[in-house]
Amino acid sequence: MKKLNIYTALLIAALGLGSCMNEDWQAPDFGDNPPYGNNEIIPSTSNKITIADLKAKYANVFSSNGYKLIEEDLQLHAVVNGNDQGGNLYKQISIQDETGGIIVGINGTDLYAFMPVGQKIVINLKGLYIGAYGKMAQLGSEYNGGMGRMDLNVWKERVRLVGDEVKVITQTTENNVVKYDTTTVEMTAKADTIAFSAPKDYNSMIGRIVKLSNVEISGEGTQTLAPEDGSVRLTSNCANRDIKGAGSSIVLRTSTYSDFASRPIPTGKVDIYGVCTIYNGTWQILMRTNSDLVEHESK
Amino acid sequence: MKRKFQLTALALLATTCVWAQSSTESEADSTIMTIDAGDFTISESQLGEDDDMTSDVIQVGSSNNLYTSNIGWTWSAARFKFRALDNKYNDVYINGVQANQVENGRFQYSNIGGMNDAARNKDAANPFESNAFAMPGLGGATNYDFRASSMSTGSKITLSGLNRNYTLRGMFSHGTGLNKNGWAFYGSLAYRWGNMETAAVDGTFYNSLSYLLSVQKKWENGHSLNLATWGNPTERAQQGASTDEAYWLANDRQYNPYWGYQNGKKRASRIVNDYAPTALLTWDYQIKDNMKLTTSAMVRYQLYSSTKLDYSGTNPAPDYWKNFPSYNYDAWGETDGSNNNWDAYNSAKEYWQSGPQARQINFDELYFANQQLNKTGNDAIYWIQARHNDHLTASLGSNFNWTIDKTSKFNAGIQLSSTQGMHYQTLEDMLGGENFHNIDRHLVGTYQETDPRADYDLKNPGRTVKEGDRYAYDYDIMVQKFNAYAAYTKTIGISYNYIAARMGGTRMYRDGKMQNGLFAENSYGKSGVAGFLDGGVKLSSTMNLGNGHSLTLGGGFEAKTPNARDAFICPEKMNDFVHNLKNEKIASAELSYGVNNSWLRLNLTGFYSYKYDGTEWSCFYDDNESSFVYVSSQNIAKRNYGVELGAKFKVTSNFDITLLGTYSEAEIVGNTDVDYMLSDNGKLKRTTCFADGMRESGTPLAAASLALNYRVNGWYLGLTGNYYDRIYLSYTPVTRLQSVQELWAANNYGGAFIDVDGTPVYSIPEQAQGNGGFVLDASIGKQFYLGKNPLSVNLNLSNITNNTSLCTGGYEQSRANYSVNDGEMSSRTYNFLKNPKKYYAQGFNFMLNINYRF
Repeated sequence: MKKLNIYTALLIAALGLGSCMNEDWQAPDFGDNPPYGNNEIIPSTSNKITIADLKAKYANVFSSNGYKLIEEDLQLHAVVNGNDQGGNLYKQISIQDETGGIIVGINGTDLYAFMPVGQKIVINLKGLYIGAYGKMAQLGSEYNGGMGRMDLNVWKERVRLVGDEVKVITQTTENNVVKYDTTTVEMTAKADTIAFSAPKDYNSMIGRIVKLSNVEISGEGTQTLAPEDGSVRLTSNCANRDIKGAGSSIVLRTSTYSDFASRPIPTGKVDIYGVCTIYNGTWQILMRTNSDLVEHESK
Repeated sequence: MKRKFQLTALALLATTCVWAQSSTESEADSTIMTIDAGDFTISESQLGEDDDMTSDVIQVGSSNNLYTSNIGWTWSAARFKFRALDNKYNDVYINGVQANQVENGRFQYSNIGGMNDAARNKDAANPFESNAFAMPGLGGATNYDFRASSMSTGSKITLSGLNRNYTLRGMFSHGTGLNKNGWAFYGSLAYRWGNMETAAVDGTFYNSLSYLLSVQKKWENGHSLNLATWGNPTERAQQGASTDEAYWLANDRQYNPYWGYQNGKKRASRIVNDYAPTALLTWDYQIKDNMKLTTSAMVRYQLYSSTKLDYSGTNPAPDYWKNFPSYNYDAWGETDGSNNNWDAYNSAKEYWQSGPQARQINFDELYFANQQLNKTGNDAIYWIQARHNDHLTASLGSNFNWTIDKTSKFNAGIQLSSTQGMHYQTLEDMLGGENFHNIDRHLVGTYQETDPRADYDLKNPGRTVKEGDRYAYDYDIMVQKFNAYAAYTKTIGISYNYIAARMGGTRMYRDGKMQNGLFAENSYGKSGVAGFLDGGVKLSSTMNLGNGHSLTLGGGFEAKTPNARDAFICPEKMNDFVHNLKNEKIASAELSYGVNNSWLRLNLTGFYSYKYDGTEWSCFYDDNESSFVYVSSQNIAKRNYGVELGAKFKVTSNFDITLLGTYSEAEIVGNTDVDYMLSDNGKLKRTTCFADGMRESGTPLAAASLALNYRVNGWYLGLTGNYYDRIYLSYTPVTRLQSVQELWAANNYGGAFIDVDGTPVYSIPEQAQGNGGFVLDASIGKQFYLGKNPLSVNLNLSNITNNTSLCTGGYEQSRANYSVNDGEMSSRTYNFLKNPKKYYAQGFNFMLNINYRF
């Protein structure tokens, strides 16, 4: 009997231990503490600046194609309106508030997976650079004596991803009594679309999502938006297609790396949505995803 | 004493069994304690359990040769491969039926892991050694005996504690021997355990159960039937190779990039689940005193899956090249330095060194990204895939042994097998994502997202994939094999002569279960059938020179059918066979001198083999094409030669010295033809690979050891010093392709240029190497008696000097130091050529083993 017990004990031990070791991992709920960005950034209304005011403040930097370190403790409350989801914007996102938009250059990819269109953000600007590339305003870092992208870690240190409102707990001391107050900061920026026009002060238009209605894209019907076959001149791996019927001169700029590079150029009228940019005086629209190009039903 | 018991709970192990035992305790099981290598020195990690790794070790072990019977475990820490041969050249049989996995030709030693007692019952033959079961392969042959009556009788418990890939091991076995009624039973159960906190390598675990049950009935009329069933459900986390830069930053040569933190807890990303339940029925028929027929039928269902963190955007691996400090600063001075960024170098370095969370996978961030993508209805961009390689094999082996007279023997046998290899990928964990489509994301851009060519399966276009579902690929590889051999030995005067011949046939085809959009015409359903005939002959002769001296000369020629694994150009996507697939031809010879007398046993062997018409297959991401490529190397010729020495000096009756050594060469001769297919567009290109002189990787080509063994009063003391050298890493074809060299020459890159006549002058990189070094091992053991029952305790100390710089293998990266755009190269700061991925041997480690027989 003694022997039997040993066998039984061994068997039970072996079977008991032999269960699965890799856990059944559950998706975490991050709540207000997403594992991306700096959750210690406190949204403040006192040092908040609008994008329009920021651009006005550094207007002379843009016109000279220069760059400058932001030394003041300023904060942007904005919303992401464009990103690299379709592979057309590369290592950059566009953000806006009620007053305007701006490009943010970040040395990272798959930014859209963390900052989808509509994601509200708070950015601490101190320590970032503001400047222009091709006279277009953007936020980033200094690189080889010009405006460049900031390191991903720099960005993560200065951005906080937030919801529609953020609860802020403030601590005040009155007569040696510590008091805590909870205030709520509303995040009001919305990713909206405006009709494209070509204003003299181009800063008010760039960085915004614009719509071109009832326009035509030039190019042979057999061509795609951004082919690599040499049929269209590429600049920095992007093809510029003239747009007819937009009122002002503007091109559709598409990267050969974008998910819709191989999309045939529609022959009829289309509506185009996209991020409005400017490069040394040339207006450009950059689609974000394939669905930013809407073909009118053929007659 | 008679005892009976029944066990039914093993039903849990998918093999129901009820077994009754009736045994007679052997009165004097006072087996003299021998230090049995298999018992405590082989760590299973060193036996190449990984289906997808090329470092599989061959267990040659003919006890007739001192060298081959010792190297298997003496040099296991350096993953020494016998004659630098792939495991597929070693034929493994169990009760006479061949058990190599048919698609890659290798025997999966993990299938018999934990069955140490049974695995010791074997008959091994060196490449030119006569035997009773096969014509041995280039790397020899082994026949395990799993018959119940062959196992040692009595009970045995082994408990082990160690700090290797697992931490604790418990084994129990019981054998009855053959009783009066002709019945014999044997059962063994083993469990090996190590978790994330205890395993030697961070972020790995090991969880393995194994069982073996064998029942035999022997009749008086010469017949015997044996039924054996075994299996070892195993779950374990893998370790990844990384670069020396990563090891430096982590200050640990066992740094493992394959795990990360989720919610503060360690999580492994690469987990292997391996279970191969097997049933084997053996019929032995002693026809006459000098004639025997052994027939075995085996069914094995191998379930093997390995998981991997996959992605559709940026590689989330912590040791992705863009994360390294040297991505920002060219420390080798090979570029013009215009992209050097010292600040970024330092900030990356500080980040890596800031703590383990910085250099491991950030699962929280991956989950968050997928959750964000859910908001906009997008597909998850990070997920865990599981690649499944399941095999259902039915095989039959029959062997006839005839001792004709005192000087001659005849053996012949046949082997038949049919294997269905089931290969598919499942979505193991969506990491919080809610959406996933069966679309090849790598092709989106080249084609539109809605283009059928980007769809993995036109039979179910645009299909959404949920966790557990199959996606990306799903196909079967069917292989049927037949083999027959005959062997004859004859003693003539002082010579013992051996001749053996074999012939075989193989049919193979693929059966696609998905209609890949890129290969709509040739991916779904059955491919054509490829048929091969192969065969070979081996001869050897041993001269008995008297006084214990002998001289053996062996030679052979063989044609060997390529493995199904190498036969298809891109089996994950389509049906086409490799262009010009043919049998590999193998010529081999060896000359061996042996001494066996009262104070010396010695074997000195020189060997030579030449293989040609070989085919090998691989796939990787190629910067030159900006695409995944499927590469089939053909017309590979290889030359392996060298010397081997084993010598054991009996200094006194209880003190001996063993010397083992080899110095060898194993290299590719001449350039190879390469077919490579781009996954982006399915186009096939042919070029030449300048692979001449590339060495076999992942094994020392030179090794030596000196062992001192001392036994006194039941104590055993052993001290072994090992030296390893000439360790090469697996070469990548990508830097050595003619098409790439032409690009280099046109761009004046890497030492290649166009000379004044306009002909390109190539610059073939040297093959990357790893460090050799010295490793000191010691063991001490003592046998006690508890009553009549022996209890032995062994302590094995390995790598006492804590040499952490011994490289055990690795590979050159298949990436380029530049990017290519319209034929123009632009330099990268990161230097892939200088950063091969390596594995290092574990530093000081130990194993304590307690063994009790009763």
